[in-house]
Amino acid sequence: MASFFASWFQWLSGFFLSKTAEIAIVGLQASGKTSFVNVIGSGQWSEDVVPTVGFIFKKVRKGNVTLKIWDVAGQPKFRTMWERYCHGVDAIVFILDSADPEKFNTARFELHQLISQPTLSGVPLLVLGNKNDLESHVPVKDLIRDLQLDKITDRPVSCYSCSMKSQHNLDIVLQWLAGRSH
Amino acid sequence: MSFAMAFSKKEDESGLSSYYNNKTTIIQEARVFNESPISPRKCRALLTRIVYLLHVGETFSTQESTTLFFGTTKLFQHKDSALRQAVYLAIKELATTAEDVIMVTASIMKDMQPNSEVIYRPNAIRALCRIIDPSMAQGVERFFKAAIVDKNPAIASAALVSAYHLFPHAKDVVKRWVNEAQEAVNAKSQGYFGSVSTSSSFFGGGNQSSAQTIPSSSNITQYHALGLLYLIRQQDRMAVTKMIQQLGGGKSGAGTTLKNAMALCMLIRYAAKVMEEDPNVQRQMVELLEGWLRHKSDMVNFEAARVICEMKNVTPAQLTKSIAVLQLFLSSPKPVLKFAATRTLASLALSHPTSVAACNVDLENLITDSNRSVATYAITTLLKTGNEASVDRLIKQITGFMSEISDEFKVIIVDAIRSLCLKFPAKHAAMLTFLSGVLRDEGGYDFKRAVVEAIFDMIKFIGECKEQALSHLCEFIEDCEFTKLSVRILHLLGIEGPKSSQPAKYIRFIYNRVVLENAPVRAAAVASMAKFGVNSTDAKLNNSIAVLLNRCLDDVDDEVRDRAALYLKVFKTQTLVEPYIKEDSVLSLAALESKLVSYVKDATASAQPFDVSAIPKISRAQAALESARPSTLDTIGVPAAKSTSSAPPPPTAAETQSAYAEQLAGVAPFANYGPILNSSAKPLPLTESETEYQVTCVKHIFKEHIVFQFNVSNTLPDTVLEQVTMAMQTEDAGLTQDFVLPIASLSAVSSPGIAYVSFTRDEPEDYATATFQCTLQFVSKELDPSTGEPEAEGYEDEYQIEEVELSAGGDYIVPSYTAFGAEWDRLKAGPSVTETFGLGASVESLKAACDSIIEVLNMEPLGGTEVPTSSSVHTLQLSGLVTGGGGKVLVRCRMTFSQGVGVTLELGVRAEKQDVCQLVVSAVGG
Repeated sequence: MASFFASWFQWLSGFFLSKTAEIAIVGLQASGKTSFVNVIGSGQWSEDVVPTVGFIFKKVRKGNVTLKIWDVAGQPKFRTMWERYCHGVDAIVFILDSADPEKFNTARFELHQLISQPTLSGVPLLVLGNKNDLESHVPVKDLIRDLQLDKITDRPVSCYSCSMKSQHNLDIVLQWLAGRSH
Repeated sequence: MSFAMAFSKKEDESGLSSYYNNKTTIIQEARVFNESPISPRKCRALLTRIVYLLHVGETFSTQESTTLFFGTTKLFQHKDSALRQAVYLAIKELATTAEDVIMVTASIMKDMQPNSEVIYRPNAIRALCRIIDPSMAQGVERFFKAAIVDKNPAIASAALVSAYHLFPHAKDVVKRWVNEAQEAVNAKSQGYFGSVSTSSSFFGGGNQSSAQTIPSSSNITQYHALGLLYLIRQQDRMAVTKMIQQLGGGKSGAGTTLKNAMALCMLIRYAAKVMEEDPNVQRQMVELLEGWLRHKSDMVNFEAARVICEMKNVTPAQLTKSIAVLQLFLSSPKPVLKFAATRTLASLALSHPTSVAACNVDLENLITDSNRSVATYAITTLLKTGNEASVDRLIKQITGFMSEISDEFKVIIVDAIRSLCLKFPAKHAAMLTFLSGVLRDEGGYDFKRAVVEAIFDMIKFIGECKEQALSHLCEFIEDCEFTKLSVRILHLLGIEGPKSSQPAKYIRFIYNRVVLENAPVRAAAVASMAKFGVNSTDAKLNNSIAVLLNRCLDDVDDEVRDRAALYLKVFKTQTLVEPYIKEDSVLSLAALESKLVSYVKDATASAQPFDVSAIPKISRAQAALESARPSTLDTIGVPAAKSTSSAPPPPTAAETQSAYAEQLAGVAPFANYGPILNSSAKPLPLTESETEYQVTCVKHIFKEHIVFQFNVSNTLPDTVLEQVTMAMQTEDAGLTQDFVLPIASLSAVSSPGIAYVSFTRDEPEDYATATFQCTLQFVSKELDPSTGEPEAEGYEDEYQIEEVELSAGGDYIVPSYTAFGAEWDRLKAGPSVTETFGLGASVESLKAACDSIIEVLNMEPLGGTEVPTSSSVHTLQLSGLVTGGGGKVLVRCRMTFSQGVGVTLELGVRAEKQDVCQLVVSAVGG
């Protein structure tokens, strides 16, 4: 009986205290966007993920927070459409392959291009340097410098180094995202 | 008044709905797509309105539809099945105008996953084929292969239909799905409710919880799979034939795996197509078709019967069974079966009236059918099959309900009557009464024209009814609202009226037109009256006509005044009558048009006036034939739409000539050759029609050049010919080859290509004749089957084709109509040649001699002289024009024939130039 009440209470509190956050995930191709969604959704990491054509929508429930995730493709022809899916979200997650410094220039350009859109002003930004399980990855400090994140002043910006494969730092990422919920 | 009311009512309705379903409103309201949380009900309603707007023809700009499209993609976050289905419908509609539709690919593919047991999987598949570009077809191959053989018929159908739409864009990929499609055709029935179509359920409605579709029992998948199979195999007749035989299930039709009636109908249509293309398989196909006549579905029975009835060269014995089937339908309670059967029988009655006559009793019962379309077809069929005795009764029957049927059917009936008049001339009185009766009824232009043409035919072919018919027409024009018809009737009155016993009585009707009608009709009436005056010998009548014409000189319209003045002048000077009123020849409009076009285009030519004497003339009878009014029996009253004969009509001479002129104008080296004097009327085939390479030749004569145009077709699909040239060799003098324009590359797809060979006429005044040995030279390369690219190495090859001849007839002389006697006398003083030939024993009759002379000289036989009346002596009169300003040429061939000796010919040629005479003589002698 007690357990019944406990579960009933949990359901009720979930009902009243549940929060949602809508987030858009962008970034260059093969940086690990779809992997990120898979890992936080089902905990499954896979070596071989088909490149996303367009976007995939996924709903993930963590505790009392429901995350509505727009996972948008990163190939050049889709980058102009990022703005449409970032519009109206609670947070933008920009994922970067931190083991591939050659792409940093392109990534910086695309990121600044995106956040300079007037419709997206003030939307919190989270930059993730993915693949930190690899030897050659660039540390957070350098990422901030290379992407010129210090120049973004009109919104909360965070930057973490993490790995989908080893699930390193994902707990703080989720915490950050939960902080955006309402 | 009622019209005005209807209009205002309609406006009221559209006023409200145009506010509610207004494009701007909808684009405004599209923000519900971005609301959080989403309201599925509101979004669904809005999507419905978008689809509705597109359906009624509203167009969205690219910007607008892209905005709407991206709005709808936001709805993928909601799991509501009904909403998702609506989203897919909207995406399908917007996909054609919106940009970046590829954006939803991944989302759609997620819905297509084989493990997602969702109701909208078919919708996802159908939407996918609209948004992916062909290069991605490969990527979805695995999904499609699985979906085609899915056990859920809705999914299989969706995949098959999508594959059908993808095929034109991604042939190679879709071709690989043929095994799956074959499997889908053969799939066992999923349903439990028998096999013939009951309702199928593609959309299970808006229940969110259930992801289960109701199994469809219609086997519609087979229909879709068959369509795809045919699309993939249609180029390969053998494969199609094999497919028909496999799926047809043997002679009795019992072994077929096809359960869907529509699939069987489709198979029957494919069979019809195969039979038409390849008569060799006709016997096997007819056996299959006869099996289907006993199928349990009416639709299949009818389709098979119709195909047999429409078969080429069908024999009465083959028809018996299918007519028996159609006869059963005639007494069916279902109107659609009755209509289908009567319609098929009506068209069959044209070619096989005796076979159809077996159904006469049942057709008789249908002439009072409450469905007027059925009754109309029944009556027209009976009119064609019936005997003389039943005509009166049938006509009476039709008169009863003429007012109840639409114009379209009235035309069918009138056409049937028209052919009947000619079949039973004795019944003309009853039919004429009928026609004049319906002429007084209400009706549109097409209907009235049909009636008038029917009466015209009666006047032409049935002498006894002429006066009666003319007076009916006179009455009709008293109150005719169609200017075109009035003009035609007045013209006919002008021709036929003067020949009648009392010409005077028509004058009143005609003059009434002058007083009461619009300008075109008045002008026609003036011309018509003038013909009475010219043809009549009655001085009193002539005087009154002159008085009437004088009154017309004050008309407000200048055409009417001009005509009146012209005819008054002609009356006074009898010598003008011949060329201006009785003249029986007209310029060949086709030739005139092409010459005028080249005259206008050629800037240097305008220094000189246009030379009308270079235009060939034809008789009025020929002109009437060329304009081809559908007047004879063979075109009358074919009610069935003949899908097989829908090929465009062959181009007229004028069209070919001006097409050539345009074509040549596009080739730079011929730019300074000047206008084309003559082009061959028809391409001359130089190969058999079923050889690997097919060549036809067209000769173009210019003032100083001759251009041979070779149309070359390569029929081998797996080789490409490069550097295709034509080598022409001749032993005759007078022509020097300038250059050859090769075809760079010629494959089966790009065929036919055109190669040109140009010659200079050494003496432009001479009519050089020559015979050329022609050889097609080329480099042959195999096509790589996997890439479709030609291989690097080819080998040189030659292909001998038939000789090309440059001769008098057809190249230098064109037929032209003239009054032979007068012209022959006029040219007496000009150059002339007379020679005598023995044509030898090989020419067996005067008719054969005439035919070969006409063919060789390509001149116009005059006054029916091409058909000898005597078997021993004959005179053939020919007339022609020589191209390039060579003037007229007349030929008189006096021939005698006696057994053993053959035909002896005395050829007399008179022309405006001496060398033309020589040309003609050498053409016959050579």
